[in-house]
Amino acid sequence: MWLLLLDNVNLVRGNKYILKDINAVFETGKIYAILGTNGAGKSSLAYLIMGINGYEPSSGRILLDGEDITNLSITDRAKKGLTLLWQEPVRFQGLTVEQYLTLGGKIKVSNHQIEFILNFVGLSPNLYRHRMVDGLLSGGERKRVELASILLLNPRYAILDEPDSGIDIMSLSMIENVIDYIVKHGGTVIVITHREEIAKLSQEAYLLCNGSILTQGSSDRIIKYYKDRCDECSHVNLPSLEEMRI
Amino acid sequence: MISTIDQRKEFELLKRAYEKAGGDASKFLNKRVASLIISGDKVIGLNGLTGIQIFPQQIQDGVRARIVVEKNTIIQTPIHICTGFVEKRGLQKVIFEIEIGDNSQVRFVAHCTFPWVEEFTHSALALVHIGKNAKMYYSDEHYHSDTGSVILNTTTKAVVEENGLFVNNFVLTKTRVGKLHLDASVELRENAIAELSAKVKASKLDQVLIREKLDLIGNRASGIAKTTVVALDQSKVRVVNEAYGVGDYSKGHIKCEEITKGEAVDVSTVPVLKVMNELAELTHEASIGRVNANQLQTLMAKGLTEEEATELIIKGLIG
Ligand SMILES: Nc1ncnc2c1ncn2[C@@H]1O[C@H](COP(=O)(O)OP(=O)(O)OP(=O)(O)O)[C@@H](O)[C@H]1O
Ligand SMILES: [Mg+2]
Repeated sequence: MWLLLLDNVNLVRGNKYILKDINAVFETGKIYAILGTNGAGKSSLAYLIMGINGYEPSSGRILLDGEDITNLSITDRAKKGLTLLWQEPVRFQGLTVEQYLTLGGKIKVSNHQIEFILNFVGLSPNLYRHRMVDGLLSGGERKRVELASILLLNPRYAILDEPDSGIDIMSLSMIENVIDYIVKHGGTVIVITHREEIAKLSQEAYLLCNGSILTQGSSDRIIKYYKDRCDECSHVNLPSLEEMRI
Repeated sequence: MISTIDQRKEFELLKRAYEKAGGDASKFLNKRVASLIISGDKVIGLNGLTGIQIFPQQIQDGVRARIVVEKNTIIQTPIHICTGFVEKRGLQKVIFEIEIGDNSQVRFVAHCTFPWVEEFTHSALALVHIGKNAKMYYSDEHYHSDTGSVILNTTTKAVVEENGLFVNNFVLTKTRVGKLHLDASVELRENAIAELSAKVKASKLDQVLIREKLDLIGNRASGIAKTTVVALDQSKVRVVNEAYGVGDYSKGHIKCEEITKGEAVDVSTVPVLKVMNELAELTHEASIGRVNANQLQTLMAKGLTEEEATELIIKGLIG
């Protein structure tokens, strides 16, 4: 069984814990949800797993199939099958959707596959394959392109940071299909979301609060806990005095 | 259209160079496409069409050509201009006087190819007049030798009359630059629109000096001048883009993006905005620096190396 494991990971920036004592296990073929209020540390956790600059753990290890990947570059992690859908995907000038999806021709895919994938994320190939991935795409369109790109990568671990934000509510089933597709192709999905419908797709969930895992377990229980307890959360989004003492 | 044996040989050479630069040389032999082919100081190909007259004339070290598009002429197929130099050293001067009649619409595709030169200076001057309601698109792609020893001075001065449009794209991204001095300026009358753009990739010891200037004279004239430069190695790049707002409600935007790679590049940009009418509106944006980190990391998270990701981003920026 393949495993992605976070072993006592801390992320400290300045004098603040962004992530604290994170222990988490992600098994192959499953769907995990990461829940938490704004500023809880969800995106930071995604960046840390992917190896984004500025999000190197201050302590702790990230293991993939038993191998320590804590110090690997983003590229090397991606080559091992990890990938990330950013909460706010960046725009590119002068690259068409098709060039972007194939990474400038580096990914060999047939015409048919491109069309299939674009249709899959709800973008008509005729209208979109030659559009630029620049500022003229709407937020939702950009996100759909990114989802298509991730599907073409066939990732083993896809971290999806709010795939539903910016996507109209009518199209939530498309996100469900995307997640389903990744899992059916042997991947694991770690989905960060504020939306119950999406969270419910997962089998297990982690609830982040102020950078720490408050609770974890079966998704039903965690979603209920989140709804019951976090709606009126007394934790302000500031480090506690104890956390400041690092 | 090609007369002597020597000219045919030269034409073949130029055709090879033109195709190497990405041009479609079959257009030269097509009677339905207007074209002008210059090699050194000779015109070796010329084809006018109804509504377009081309009057070339040999001058010292070059060619001067008057291109007249009559009023109310709309031409779908671009006019092809090929300027080449097939010797190793020398000087070439070209002067184009382009007159676009009222209500006309034309597109020019120009390729300048100097693929084998070792010591060479190319001076180009384009004097453009665009009539009322007329539209002119000019795309100018350069293809130099890889010795970096080309000196290119290119000047465009355009006047766009009421409701006219001028789009000028200069591209030098496929080969070494050498030394480039590009100066493009446009004077816009009432409601006229212009878009000036330059894309250059400078490498090794290349030197680039670019000035794009908008004179927004007429009321509601509007224009954009943008420069995108990728500076590698020890290249040196200066960009000065200018906009002057004179007309009521005239609008101008200047933009300069310089992407650097390497410790030894030397790049700078200075925007010049001057409002001479309180109803005019001028804006500018500029960025200098390495490739955007978010773009880079997005592509790396898909498995590209930093080098590959940089290359793809740059390809998008300058083609
Ligand atoms: N590089 C950084 N340096 C300092 N503070 C940071 C950095 N990155 C994130 N933070 C802080 O860490 C906290 C968690 O941010 P993060 O973006 O991970 O939250 P999130 O759970 O994804 O929130 P949201 O639901 O709004 O997307 C925030 O208070 C944020 O300001
Ligand atoms: Mg976030």
